[in-house]
Amino acid sequence: MDVFLQAESLSKSFGGLHAVSELDFAVDQGEIVGTIGPNGAGKTTLFNLLTGFLQPTTGEATFKGESIIGKKPNQIVDLGISRTFQIVRPFSNMTVLENIMVPLQSPKNRRVNKNRMENQRRAAVLLEQVGLADKMLLLAADLSHGDLKRLEVARSLAATPDLLLLDEPFSGLATKEIAALSDLIKSLNDDGLTIIIIEHKLRELMKLVKRVITLNFGVKIADGTPEDIARNEAVIEAYLGKGGERFVTS
Amino acid sequence: MMNQLHGLEQSLPASPLHWKRFRAHFAIVILLLLLPVFVKSIYVIDLLIVCNVWAVFLSSWDLLTGYTGQISFGHSLFIGGGAYTAGFLSFYLHVPFWITIPLGGCVAAILGFGLGLPALRLKGPYLALATFAASAVLHGLSAVFWLYSGGEDGLYGVGPLTRNYFVKYYWSVALMVVCSGFLLFLVNSQYGLILKSIREDESGAEASGINVTKYKLLTFIMSGFLAGVAGAFYGHAQMHVGTDLLSLNLSIMVVLMSVAGGMGTIIGPIVAGYLLILLNEWLRVIEVVRVLIYSFSVVLILLFIPRGIVPTIISIAETLISKIKSPSRS
Repeated sequence: MDVFLQAESLSKSFGGLHAVSELDFAVDQGEIVGTIGPNGAGKTTLFNLLTGFLQPTTGEATFKGESIIGKKPNQIVDLGISRTFQIVRPFSNMTVLENIMVPLQSPKNRRVNKNRMENQRRAAVLLEQVGLADKMLLLAADLSHGDLKRLEVARSLAATPDLLLLDEPFSGLATKEIAALSDLIKSLNDDGLTIIIIEHKLRELMKLVKRVITLNFGVKIADGTPEDIARNEAVIEAYLGKGGERFVTS
Repeated sequence: MMNQLHGLEQSLPASPLHWKRFRAHFAIVILLLLLPVFVKSIYVIDLLIVCNVWAVFLSSWDLLTGYTGQISFGHSLFIGGGAYTAGFLSFYLHVPFWITIPLGGCVAAILGFGLGLPALRLKGPYLALATFAASAVLHGLSAVFWLYSGGEDGLYGVGPLTRNYFVKYYWSVALMVVCSGFLLFLVNSQYGLILKSIREDESGAEASGINVTKYKLLTFIMSGFLAGVAGAFYGHAQMHVGTDLLSLNLSIMVVLMSVAGGMGTIIGPIVAGYLLILLNEWLRVIEVVRVLIYSFSVVLILLFIPRGIVPTIISIAETLISKIKSPSRS
């Protein structure tokens, strides 16, 4: 497999605070990777760096061999990286269908199709995929939290990404909703989509991913399979606590 | 893909640009075209010309603020910029109006671009203050260069559009129909979805691959152009451009009327413009309490129907229609 996403010595400081420090990692095409760590470890900052919402203080990041440093968020979407947000950001006063039609207006999508009715059909298919087809004419403001999380996933998929970054997709969801979303993420990965997930619900995450990167105080402290991470002393000390194996036993 | 839809095709909404959705708009245009047949008063016709021009002021503001969320308290910058451009060209160089009006729009579009640049960094009340300050600069310049601008009196003797009031009225209807028609087409197209997404959440729009910078600037330019064209038209229609077209008062009236009509609808601000301008004129018979009643009416509208006149009327009509169609549910 080719190296798809690569970060080299990626750092981001806010004044004296080092949110991300000298971070090196690579993700191959088709991988599904988890990112964990305590609050303030730099996980969301990392996503913001990879999607152009923040620019690094130092370091380099490349996607499909092209530097993504200095690029704006919309340019990075055009390259093929799409994301969801930790706190959902729906277009509240637009219908669910319209929410999905916005990313279909990106230059990448408009190169493929500009027809409104065709875009509506594409949006409807995506909504059916995430189980929101029956709510497509509702305002996003009228959706439950769980539905908004699914809407965000559908919206990020509408940008036709090659790499999908999911920031705490399970937070605030009921067990059934987590299972349904897990199945969707798994099927997307099975279809070849590369995915990185930030998540605190570790049991669900460990079942889903093949590899976990652990951050603490902006520094990578471990990178390995879920089983390796669960046994890693540094990760247990910083985040999991004693008995970290409980997160990987079914 | 069609197979994947599993019958969802029927649930998809019809295109918002379908002509049937604009039947009421067509009816209003026909009414406006027929009005001079019944209304022979030049005073009323002149008033309707003002309403038609204000409709463009208001709908161009609605594109910028109601649709794109860029709060502007400086629309007089565009209106006055367009008007004074036409005024100068006509008064000093005797350039015909069919050249000065588009040029007025172009100057206002350039001002729109200039005002759009700080809007890339500023949001909410900070942007509102910046737009207000920018319009005050033009007002200040007219005072500094009073020898050329005519100072507070402005320029009298701007070339007329025509001496015939009824012809002038039809031109004002044409201006209103073309400008507001273009805006209605724009906001109901997929372009409108992009503008609304920027209004709702800029980060969400960027994460959806939308070039927010480009669309914000384009909207400032388009809004500026349309307001500038209307301002230039107004200058020729009144044969005068004055500092009232650069004033904060004008900017505030634009905001008040648009909010009262219903932001983010295009048609709402237009309807409110007609109602409030006509109300203001009719209240002149009781001049002593005119401002009091007018202001109180606006306060009542904002207080009791904060969504605006048109969205509230539509909402009531839809409720009534649904009750008539299914009386058993109630």
